[in-house]
Amino acid sequence: MNPRARLSPAALVAVTIGAAIMLAPLLWTILLSLKANSELMRDTASAFSGPYTLENYRAILVGSSVTHWLLNSLIVSLGTTAGVLILCSLAGYGFARLDFPFRRSLFVFVLLGLAIPEQAVILPRHQLFAWLHLHNSYPGLILPGLVAPFGVFFMTQYFRAIPVELDEAAMLDGASRFTLFWKVLLPLTRPAQATLGVFTFLGSWNDYWWPLISATRSARFTLTVGLASAQMNYAQTSGLGFLMAQAVFASLPILIVYIIFQKQIVAAMAGAAVR
Amino acid sequence: MTGGRRDRLAGFAFVGPFLALYAFLLIYPLFMGIGLSFHRADLFGARRFVGFENYARAFADPIAWQALWNTFKLTVLIVLPLTAITLALALALNRATRGAAIFRGIFFASSVLSVTIVTLIWRFILTPDAGLVAKIVTTLGGTPPPFLSDPNLTIPALAITTIWWSVGFPMMLFLAGLQQIPADMYEAAALDNAGPWTRLFKITLPSLRRTLILVIMLQTAAQLQLFGQAQLLTAGGPSGASRPVVLLIFEVAFGRWELGYAAALAELLFLLVLSVTFIQYWAVGRAAKEER
Amino acid sequence: MKRLRGLVAGLVLAALAGGCGTGPKKTEITLQRFFGECGAVYGHSIDVGAAEGECGIVTTLINRFQAENPDIQVDVNVVAWPGYPQLTAQIAAGDPPDLVTMHQSVISDYQGRGLLEPMDGVLGEAGIGPEAITPAGLRGVTKAGHLYGMAWDTIGGLFHVNTRLFAQAGLLKDGKPILPTSADELLVQARQFKTRTGKPYLVQSEVSDAASFVRNFYGYVMAQGGVLFADRRHSRFATPEGARVVQLFRTIEQEKLTTLNQDTPAAIASFMNGEGGIYPTGTWMIGAFDQEAKTTGRPLSGAYAVFPYPHLWGRDAAFVDGHAWVMPKRVRTAAERAAVVRFLKFMAAHNFDWTRTGHLPAFRAVYASPEFRALPHRSDIAPLAAIGVQLPGYVQRQSAIQGLLGEELTSAVTGTKPVERALRDGERRVDELLDQIP
Repeated sequence: MNPRARLSPAALVAVTIGAAIMLAPLLWTILLSLKANSELMRDTASAFSGPYTLENYRAILVGSSVTHWLLNSLIVSLGTTAGVLILCSLAGYGFARLDFPFRRSLFVFVLLGLAIPEQAVILPRHQLFAWLHLHNSYPGLILPGLVAPFGVFFMTQYFRAIPVELDEAAMLDGASRFTLFWKVLLPLTRPAQATLGVFTFLGSWNDYWWPLISATRSARFTLTVGLASAQMNYAQTSGLGFLMAQAVFASLPILIVYIIFQKQIVAAMAGAAVR
Repeated sequence: MTGGRRDRLAGFAFVGPFLALYAFLLIYPLFMGIGLSFHRADLFGARRFVGFENYARAFADPIAWQALWNTFKLTVLIVLPLTAITLALALALNRATRGAAIFRGIFFASSVLSVTIVTLIWRFILTPDAGLVAKIVTTLGGTPPPFLSDPNLTIPALAITTIWWSVGFPMMLFLAGLQQIPADMYEAAALDNAGPWTRLFKITLPSLRRTLILVIMLQTAAQLQLFGQAQLLTAGGPSGASRPVVLLIFEVAFGRWELGYAAALAELLFLLVLSVTFIQYWAVGRAAKEER
Repeated sequence: MKRLRGLVAGLVLAALAGGCGTGPKKTEITLQRFFGECGAVYGHSIDVGAAEGECGIVTTLINRFQAENPDIQVDVNVVAWPGYPQLTAQIAAGDPPDLVTMHQSVISDYQGRGLLEPMDGVLGEAGIGPEAITPAGLRGVTKAGHLYGMAWDTIGGLFHVNTRLFAQAGLLKDGKPILPTSADELLVQARQFKTRTGKPYLVQSEVSDAASFVRNFYGYVMAQGGVLFADRRHSRFATPEGARVVQLFRTIEQEKLTTLNQDTPAAIASFMNGEGGIYPTGTWMIGAFDQEAKTTGRPLSGAYAVFPYPHLWGRDAAFVDGHAWVMPKRVRTAAERAAVVRFLKFMAAHNFDWTRTGHLPAFRAVYASPEFRALPHRSDIAPLAAIGVQLPGYVQRQSAIQGLLGEELTSAVTGTKPVERALRDGERRVDELLDQIP
């Protein structure tokens, strides 16, 4: 860390103002969610003063689909994360440690994928999944996320950094390639797994365009799609408090996870830069 | 390393699953898309080969140029301030105090929210009737700026929203980069009585070069593909004034049912992202060579 | 890490389990609609009489159908208005819903590609013949000689008036608002209104509301006898008639005789808060505004009236559209088809309940019924059914055209583009779109 431990007063003021700007929208949203819809319809400035109510949150528990959307997002994001970690660890180990024909070319082939943006493939992918009847399903939402060239690149680099002597020691003990991978090397990649896991989870959690056109039935709405559909209806006129309560409710799980695991998440994200 | 058939088979077994998905779900659709861009096609199966017609149409289409220009404006308006702000934040918060940790936490929090939540929150900050900004401005006696409907303000509105949302990750990258700078460089500078600005420009920034490049390249590629905020906050309006290329692709495909044209636009965007990335890479390489 | 894996496994199992059905065999049909999501307020209520607004009434109707038909499972999919990108994606994916709400102006798009089932048979089984439907409704759902939807209502633009402000402006006579009879008169009255009340004459939703600009434009061009679509490939917007209409609204905008920069929720709130004299929106707001007028202590209390758009040029005409229930083409079992028949029959029987929203009924019997006539304001807006016109049947892609034209009209009215250029750009873009149709 920087040896200078004191922040200049000007910098402190600037950072505090910045933090206030970061928090103000969240506080405003919470205030709006605590007011009755009828009051907000007249004037949203009424959010600055009482009376406040938990009515909107009660309404969510009774009749909103937010919990359903949350569950869908959770299933898809966790599924994608697990899948990516498994596939990319396997591939990373393969590229880093094993010698097979075309290894180098295949690795470059995978790296090229880093340059392909979503838009170049999303429309044909939609057609492809239609032929395979994969729309409005969990696999349909998870599979595209498993194509993660960055994950392979990342894990390959990490595996390469582990000393080869460990391999040789284990092989001398008669371990198979897979045991070597599973029992010896994989546990050593825990920090990388954490980083890639957090990356993948957040990316999947935030995915919007693909679920929008693939999960068109409300039973499979993820959080992003569900909230988007709630926004675009006239809810804003007569149900602003309720709408904002849904936003708060939808943000809570990820924010709580963030607050609890902040240290790990930050370390994981920072770890990405170091490699 | 022990070679042999076993190893080769093992190798394919390890990389096989990923490669299979990769080929099937990324490479194959990529070529499908390229093929599609040479056809006049709708979403329901009709298909007719038209050669380069879609591309010619894109070059002649003022709406496509408008979208391109919007994308360019958005990218510049977001990437430059974002880089500067996050760098400044990283410099300020790179200390071991509890206060700094709390501040870092605050600045990163917005990054975990999804795009639809962020746009919902910011709609009710910016809207001239009911928004927070409007209420504050009216109390101070002014007229609330119509952020979501004035053609000159919609792109800045999207930029502000995106910057607010994206502060966390680049800041973390810079922090990690800062922590890699060896302490003895600063000690040597202290011995030479170097002031804070000299330290910043002669030691810190040069050491952060790689991170700086990484942040700029990542953010540029990301903002060239901006979609959710434009669709939900301004609907690309008014009259396309804030419609970036990706939103245009979406509207052409699912609103106008012109799948072939949309595919052509997507390929053009792909080329744009690719070239911008390469140009940045090359420019950085040139600068590095000159330094030596 | 282990805990995480356990969690993932648990969730995957939950997902799989959730997909399994339980209980006796029910026929399942999927129904997709817009009109909003109000589960929080209406939940599973079947009290249609107490429900208010489009969302409330349609939700309680469907709930009631469920309750009265326990052997049918209705999966309701609520989509954001207008829901066409979603429907298109679903059809492209090969898995569309059984029933969808669709604007009558949009039916030809999907019907023209063979994506909708002809519904003569189904409607016949439900006891609904063409003679039971109003002329406007029938025009809206008949394509190529067949019925492609069950007409559910006719919707059109209306002038919603704040009579208290009108009184203040000296524009109220014998309790009825004085509406202009020509474009010049409108400007005179609007200026008078603004001078006397200090508030804008019109409350308009100009942001993200292409439909309102297009409605005004189509209606008044057709009133002047103008042709909007010469044939299925060519539009005609840059005409003297068109320019006249746009110029009027441009003048209103320039002289600040209207609210500015509002989207629909803001405009609705604005009108309800008494911030303008007239809100030109549609039949769908009658229910909500009437409700507001009945509440005491509000700016709109006892001060609400509604009329068809005033005659400004040419003859009396209004652009109307309507909603319909359509059946996307898909494989259906006999049981599913029968379920659809029962649903349509139920909805037809409850058409009166739907008209409490403000929309005009699609069934002649309801139109003539005393209950309908007794609903507030209906006699004032009755002329709409007679003067309402739709676009010619050969015009396809009306939803997409509305988006494109709406953008250009917005530019013209707000002054971003000169009127002539905006109309010509509109023609060009729409013709490009029409040219792409196979």
